[in-house]
Parts: sequence; structure tokens; C-alpha cells
Amino acid sequence: MWENTRLVVFTAICASLYAAVLIPFKVLPIIPGVAELRPANAVPVICSFLFGPAAAWGAAIGNLIGEFFGGMGPGDVFGCTANFLYGMAPYKIWELIGGAEPPTPKTLSAWARFAFTLFLSSALCALVVGWGLNLLGFVPFAVLGNLVLFNNFVSSMLFAPLLLAVIYPRVARGRLLYHHLLPARPTKSRAVRFSGLALLTCAVVGGMIAGNLLASGYWTPSLLVAMGWETQSRAAEVGLGLVPFLLLAITGLALL
Amino acid sequence: MALFLYLDHRTFVHRRHPLVKVAALLLFFVSAFVMEHPLFILPLSASVAALILWTKSTPTLQRIRVLFLFIAIFPVLIWSVFYRNGTPFPTLPFLPITQEGALYGLGMAAKLGTFLATGALFLSTTRIEEFAYAFTLLGLPYRISFTLTLAFRLVPLFLESAVTVVQAQRCRGLDINSGPLFQRLRHYVLVLIPVFMGALRRADQMSIALEVRGFNSGRPRSSFQRAPWTGADTLAVIAVLAVTALYLSLWSAGYGRIRSL
Amino acid sequence: MDNRSSVLSPSPADALRLEQVSFTYAEASTPALREVSLRIQPGELVVVIGASGAGKSTLVKCLNRVIPAFQAGAFTGDVWLFGRHLLQERVGELAGIVGVVFQDFEAQLFSTTVRDEVIFGMEQLGVSPEEMQERLDAVLALVGLTGFEVRDPTTLSGGQKQRLAIAAMLALRPQILVLDEPTTDLDPQGRQEIFTLLSRMRAEGYTLVLVEHELAAAVDADWVILLSEGQIVAVDRPERLLPQIELLTRYGVRPRDLDRICAAFGITAFPRDVDTAALHLREIGEPRSEPSLPTSEQQPIVPLLQVEAVSHSYSGGAPVVTHATLSIAEGEFIALLGQNGSGKTTLAKIVSGLLPPTQGRVLLRGEELGRLPLHRVAQEISYVFQNPDHQLFAETVEEEVAFGLRNIGLETAEVALRIEEALEAVGLNALRTHDPFLLGRGERQRLAVAALLALRPRLLILDEPTTGLDYPEQRRMMELLRRLHAEGRTIIIITHVPWVAAEYAERALLMVHGQLVWDGSLRGLCAQPELCASAAFRPPEVTRLGLHFKRTFLSVDECLAAFSSVAHQPFRSDEDHPQPVS
Repeated sequence: MWENTRLVVFTAICASLYAAVLIPFKVLPIIPGVAELRPANAVPVICSFLFGPAAAWGAAIGNLIGEFFGGMGPGDVFGCTANFLYGMAPYKIWELIGGAEPPTPKTLSAWARFAFTLFLSSALCALVVGWGLNLLGFVPFAVLGNLVLFNNFVSSMLFAPLLLAVIYPRVARGRLLYHHLLPARPTKSRAVRFSGLALLTCAVVGGMIAGNLLASGYWTPSLLVAMGWETQSRAAEVGLGLVPFLLLAITGLALL
Repeated sequence: MALFLYLDHRTFVHRRHPLVKVAALLLFFVSAFVMEHPLFILPLSASVAALILWTKSTPTLQRIRVLFLFIAIFPVLIWSVFYRNGTPFPTLPFLPITQEGALYGLGMAAKLGTFLATGALFLSTTRIEEFAYAFTLLGLPYRISFTLTLAFRLVPLFLESAVTVVQAQRCRGLDINSGPLFQRLRHYVLVLIPVFMGALRRADQMSIALEVRGFNSGRPRSSFQRAPWTGADTLAVIAVLAVTALYLSLWSAGYGRIRSL
Repeated sequence: MDNRSSVLSPSPADALRLEQVSFTYAEASTPALREVSLRIQPGELVVVIGASGAGKSTLVKCLNRVIPAFQAGAFTGDVWLFGRHLLQERVGELAGIVGVVFQDFEAQLFSTTVRDEVIFGMEQLGVSPEEMQERLDAVLALVGLTGFEVRDPTTLSGGQKQRLAIAAMLALRPQILVLDEPTTDLDPQGRQEIFTLLSRMRAEGYTLVLVEHELAAAVDADWVILLSEGQIVAVDRPERLLPQIELLTRYGVRPRDLDRICAAFGITAFPRDVDTAALHLREIGEPRSEPSLPTSEQQPIVPLLQVEAVSHSYSGGAPVVTHATLSIAEGEFIALLGQNGSGKTTLAKIVSGLLPPTQGRVLLRGEELGRLPLHRVAQEISYVFQNPDHQLFAETVEEEVAFGLRNIGLETAEVALRIEEALEAVGLNALRTHDPFLLGRGERQRLAVAALLALRPRLLILDEPTTGLDYPEQRRMMELLRRLHAEGRTIIIITHVPWVAAEYAERALLMVHGQLVWDGSLRGLCAQPELCASAAFRPPEVTRLGLHFKRTFLSVDECLAAFSSVAHQPFRSDEDHPQPVS
């Protein structure tokens, strides 16, 4: 991807749109300060359908640039990784279950698959951010993980379809979609890809549930008790307990 | 409009080698990270505050003051709830809050506040080129660091176009920040479409302009030496390393934790 | 080219040679370039002219393989660069040989300091660090940006940005530099900076290919190439091509005022500049005395807008508009003039209600603008932005116009009626169901006007309504405004194009450093060369010519009329003004 100058530019554009859109638009609060709709949260998803891998890098870089006018901290490592996956997952999932349709849902079935794609991508992002920041002991997974999931999923469900309906056909006509610009990927068999999707789904959903249980103290892996590694901030519990889920999720994404 | 936090002063800190600044940022993060108790974090907070004064970066703190307020309140509340083991407050035994929990929350607030201030100090004294340059020296592929600087340069451009679009829509009787929730949502979309399309219209032109300047020429790249390493850089690194070493030894000796009362 | 012998084998003596180059864009039915052949020798300045869609940009892209490398389509023909036959090269590989500078300077600056901008290309080509410093100093000195090394390019003026783009190109030591409309987005000051730089580069022996829409730039060229519909229709020396008024007009290029005047009086000598033309014209005689102009004494009854002691500064910065007071009457046609950064756009936005002034107030028919509800202001005042793409978002032309009408709460029947009316006015009725994104620049500009026109505003403010348009489109846009004005609307245009202001506006507002230094008739302003020069406003050629005879002509027709009675030669008028084929 980095050999193609156009995709390098698209990466930069995704990143700066992500960062720029954060500023002029007030967030639309549902519960002020806690649950809110941000148009910016839909940008990685929209760019993912348009520019594929460029959106993943764009989301990671855009997240970093966003920090450049807010302030940065150790948590940004996880923020960037999570956003990378948030930009990577939608196009990969849609390639498999979108059935060669453009990501502009019109039928009920297309809407269902579209929503599933966005939910899974949002949850993957939430899992990584929630895990990372609880690992550092900053914010409990049960707070941040659920918030990120909600904000990303609802914002992208509201904004992405409206924007894609207008933008996608125009980009397609200009032959500037990622599959126009990138050499075709060696295709894996559908069986492998579907098992990847199944793995990703189980890992992400399981991870979200496990994260909540671990962070709120309803579950403590017996291994940790035996090793005497229990922590009050639940940093070790969430930090170690979610590792298998994360590994499975990444494997699933790689198989897609 | 000043969008980013960088302030163009030429203080001692500003003039340090990019690698020194990045190293100092990371080492300060590590030092604050290993401590839980607020009293052990405060000396770090104080030194960052001193550096902020020295580098004339106080306007940056001013700009992000809301974040500090948020950080001062949020962790204390959350961790008081989530940190349940320990001694309840003797005067308020009915609350599901423990003294350790409150102390952990306070420590977390001090820690996050120090992170935020350190980040602000770094961003006020470091240009994006220096940041990208330091990471290239550390092995980040050139194209990624270039994309970072390019994206950085595009932000004001897109922001300006968003502001213009908002004004253009006003001329047609649309106030994007008013109306019920779902109406505003639609309005945002009407602004985002021209911003996106404008960006994409430019993309082609930019890719061509990049290649015309030799991007993707296939020739080996050379690198302009942007900042020579000086003795002052060595001194600065030693100073920061000393602080981190102190904190790590305190941590390994078991200080700075929150113990059951 | 016409008087050079055709050589069959490519010779290294040619800087550039094209043989039978054709290109058809994918999804286009007709070729954008048809069998173009040309040869350019080292050290020459070649200027390419032609209307929109003539193939100028396509031609430029063929010179260094941007076509076919970046553009899907059918390419045939051969290109040689200094004897090297281009076959499979990547665009980047030719970076040290051909330099290209584009119109949109924002899209060719990638860095956050001037120094990094210049160094960028050299790093890509592997220039050694010591040499980089040397070249950096040399090119910054050449373009006059020494001392700007650590400046952020976003803080530079348009002219400086474009000079920086040129410097970044020159640092790569290209043997030939191609400039595709480098001055279109610049104000007269910036344009002058670029032309001064180009003549300096020419003296240093650079080979230059310049695509331009203004013929003034072609006077000093070695060759001028006129393109139309992808074909070369004429190649000649400027002194032979520029006086061919009919040829130029037929192919959508605006002839120079001086050439039109000389041609009308049968003067065969080439009027290189205003002074030469004045000498020739003096041989014909002196112009008739100034006709007593109908002095418009009638006072406006109620002013439409009153601007009272308005000042503005952006978030604590220095004021960009200081203490502006003026009154605008119903039915005026005003040109708002001034350099970029003089505060004219800010003033216009204040007048339109888009920007609340930090001091002072604006009254619309006696009511304070800031207190009126948005839907009412939207029906009274419209602001057309310079770049139409900032306001177009709908999926069809029709929807685009309907949007504002629905915002102000009109009924369906009324909406339909007004769409009809507005699209009719701008001549886009046939394209109702088209996607605005795919229209040409001129059409998009007119659609932007239609979208606002449908709201039936009393006052229309247009920011640079002719930028990016070719001559026929510019005429069409301005004639549209003239018609709207005749219907009783008040028009304010912000413009850098001298003839547009001179031929259409009655009143001029001139801004310098945030202050209104002239508020009066345009003719009166043009009669004061010192004031104009201080504001970097350059009146049209014909006006400057008139000053040699102590007259202020605002159009070629006025000049022709004044000299017609004294001319020895039979006077040949070309109607109202040259009518381009559309």
C-alpha cells in the first residue's frame, strides 16, 4: 500500500479529516460528557469502505494528531492501535458479507449486515482501548470499553450511511476506491474467511463480556489468585484476562 | 487561529535534539506511571510545572484547562466506586467508598494530570517535523512519518473548508448548531459532504505534485541533518535518566504504593 | 513548429518533443488531446493558451508521464525529453528533469516549514546533505524567500506560497519547468511577483512552458500555442498571434485591450506595452474631449444596508477591518477591491451577516442585521463563495437548488416554481438531473449562484465570481449578473480582474490594510494612479492607455468611440465587445 502515492495521500487525508472534523462540530450529547455522538467517530469507518488499508493507518495517525491539540499520554499507544483496527475491520468484514454490494445499504438484509459490520468494528476498537487503559490502571474497562462501543457504534451507524450514500458512488465513478488502486489480494478460501469472521465475532463479543466481568470484580481468573497477582485497580485481571480474546480477535481479522 | 499547541520560543528546551525530547517524554511517563500514591507523584508534577514556566508554555495549559478539570474530578469519582476493598470512611460509613479507593483516585488524578501536563509541555516545545524525525531515527519507516507530517499540514486546510461550508450553508438558511438532535445530525452530514468531496478532489492533484517532486522516484533517499547533537543534549538526557532511575528504585523498594490502612 | 525544419530522428537539441500525442480519458467519448506535435528548444519560453477544455492541462500532464501513469485512458504518441524517449518511466523518475508547478498551491505544499518544503524533493532524489544546504540557499535567494526558512507555509501570502512551490521545484535542478496556470488564484500583487520571477529565470536560461489564461503573460514569449478541442490551432510569435483578434476570440481567449485598439485603427506595429501603444495612438490624433457624463444626482431614498463604524479582528489578533462606514442603496453594482489580506472578504462577510463585527453595526433597512432571524437574512442577502464546491453537496442539480428553499419553509409548488426560475436564469435547466460534482467549473459556479438566487435575495455578494473560468464563461457569468442587476437586484463583487470591475461595476470600494480608502465611482478611482498603485490595484490596459491622454476609459469601446472622429483610418468597430463562441 505504501508504494502507491495515491494511497499515501488518502491515508493523510483520512487522518486529517478525522482530526479536523473533531474540532468544528460540537458533539451531540445524549448524556452530556458520557454518551455522545461525534461525527468524527464515523470517519474511520467511511474511509475504510472507500480506501481500505489506507483508512486503518489514517485512523491511527489521525488519532495521534487529535492528541496534538489536546495533549498526549501513555494511553495513546492503545488509542492508535484501537483506531487502526477500527479503520481496518469494516472493509474486510464487508468484503466477506457485503456480497459485492456497495456499502450503501438499501434492503433490510443489507442493513443488517452493515450494522453487524459496524458493531463488530466498534466492539473491536472498544475492546482494545478498554483493555489498554485498564491495563495502565487509568480507567476501568467497565466504564471506557462500554462507552467507546456505544459512541463508535451509534455515531457511525448514524453518519456513515448518510455520507456513504453520496460519497461512495462518486469515488467509485472516479475509480479511486481501494480495489481500483491496489493489486488484488491473494484470495483465501471462503471457508477460511468465514471461520475468521466467526473467530473475530466470538472473541470480540466474548472479550466485551469478560472485560466487564473482570473489571467489576465478578470474575477473577484462578491463576491470578494462585500467583497472588490480584490488584485493586483490576489492572492485572483485565490486562491478563483479556489477552486470549485479543489474540483470537487479531487472528480472526487476519484470516478475513 | 492557532490550532496546534506549539509555541515558537527558542528556550533551552525548545532547542534540544528531537530524540532528547521524545526520550524525556517517555521517561517522565514511566516515572509517573510506577507510582500510585499522590504524594510521590507531586514532585514530578512540580518539576513539569517548573519546566512549563521556563519554556513559556503556560498559554497551552490555559487552552486545555477544561481537560485538567475533567481529570481532577473523573478518576476520583470512578475509582472511589471501583476500588472497593479497604477501610470505609469512619464519618461516612454508609457510603460504598473506601479511604484507599479515594486515595487511589487522587493518585490517579495526579498521575493523569502529570501526563497531560508533560504532553502539553512536549507539544508546546516540539514541532511535528522534530517528532517525525525522532521516530524516523528510531526506525519508523519514512513513508509513515511523512504521512504523519502531511496529515498534520492538511488539518488547518480541511478545518478552514469546514468553516467555509458552514457559512455557505448559513446563506441558504441553515444553522447547523440549532434544532432537535436528529435535525442537527442531518445538518452535520450536509457540511461533511462538501468537506469530504473537496478533500478528494484535491487528493489527485496532491499525489501528482508529490511524484513530480521525486516521491516514489525509486532512488535511494538522503536525509538533511536537521539537528546536531550537542553536549547540552547529553546533559539533559542524563538529568532525565537520573529522575527515572530514582523513581524506578523507589518503586522496586516498594514505595509509592497504596497499602491497606 | 511552422518555420523549423522537421527532423525525423529526435535530436538532443530539442528540450521537448511531442509527436502525434493523443489522449482520451476513460469514460470520455472524445479525445482530450488529438495528434499534438510540437518541439521546444532549450532556453525558450513557450506560452500555451486556450479556453477551458481545450486540453491545456492534459498537454502539461503528458510532458512528464503523469498521463498515462496517473490517469486511466487511451494514450498514443511519443514524447522525448532532451533526446530521451519516454516509455515506461515513473513520474518520480523524471523529477530532476521536468519540474511542474500547479495552480492550486495548497495542494503542492506538504511541509510545515519553508525549509522542509524545499528539502523534501532533494531528499527523495538522494541529494547529499551539504549540497542540499547550498541549493536551499540558492533557490530561496532566487525566489526572494531568504530569511523565511523556519516560517510555516500556511502563514505566507498566495504569491509567496506559489514562489515557494517554484523554489521547491527548482531545488531539483530541472532542465525544463512547466507552470500550469500558476497565477490564477493570486491577486495582482502575487501575479506580478511570479512574472518578475519568471523573467529572472528566463534570463538565467531556464526552458519554460507556461499555461496562462491572460495574454499579458504571452507578450515576451518565444512562441505562443493556441489550443482548442485538443488540437493546436495556431503556433506563432506573440507579435503575430496576439493581434489576431478574431482568431483568439473564436477560440475563447480574451484578446488584449491594446491589440484590439490598434487593430481597430489599423495600426500594424505590435503594441508591446501601454507606453508603446500610446505612442502609436498619438499618431492618429488626440481623443475627443470628455463627453459630459450623465451625473447621477438622484439620492437613494432608503439605503438597503448601512455599515456603521465596523471593525473586526479574529480572536484577539490585529484588526483586519478598521472603522469602515458606508451605505449601500438598492440597485447598486459595486466592486470591492483590494489586495489579498486587505480585509475585503472580511468586510463582505460582515455586510452579508455571516460574521458579526467585533465593533460597530450593520443595519438592513434600518434593522440591526445580527438580530434578524436567519431565514429572513437568507432571503435578503446571499453570499456566493469563491469556490463553488464549498456549497454544493446534493445528488442532483435540482436538489441543490431546492435545499435552501426548503430551509426557509416554502411549499412544494413554490419550490418547484423557483427551481425552474433560478435554473432558467443561469442556463442550467437542461442539466436538472445531473450530479453537480460532475459539472464543469463554470457550470458549478453558476449552480452555486442559482442555489442562492432561488431565495430571491435583494443583495447578492459574490467573491471572485470569475476565478477559474475561461473568457466565454467569465462573460457569461458577468452578463448574468448584469441581467440580475437590471432586474433591480443589488450586486457586490469582490474581484481581482480589472476589466470585470471596470466594465460592470459603477461604484468601487477600495481597501488597504483593513481601511476603506476609496468609496466612489470606479472612473474616479481609475483617474488616480497613485492611489491605485498604493493598493496594488492595476486598472485595465485601456484605462492606463487613456491616462496618457488624460482620459479614463473603462472599456475598449469607450476608447474607440473617443478616437473614432479623429482617426485617419477607416474605423472598424467590433460591436459591443468581442462575442466568444460558446
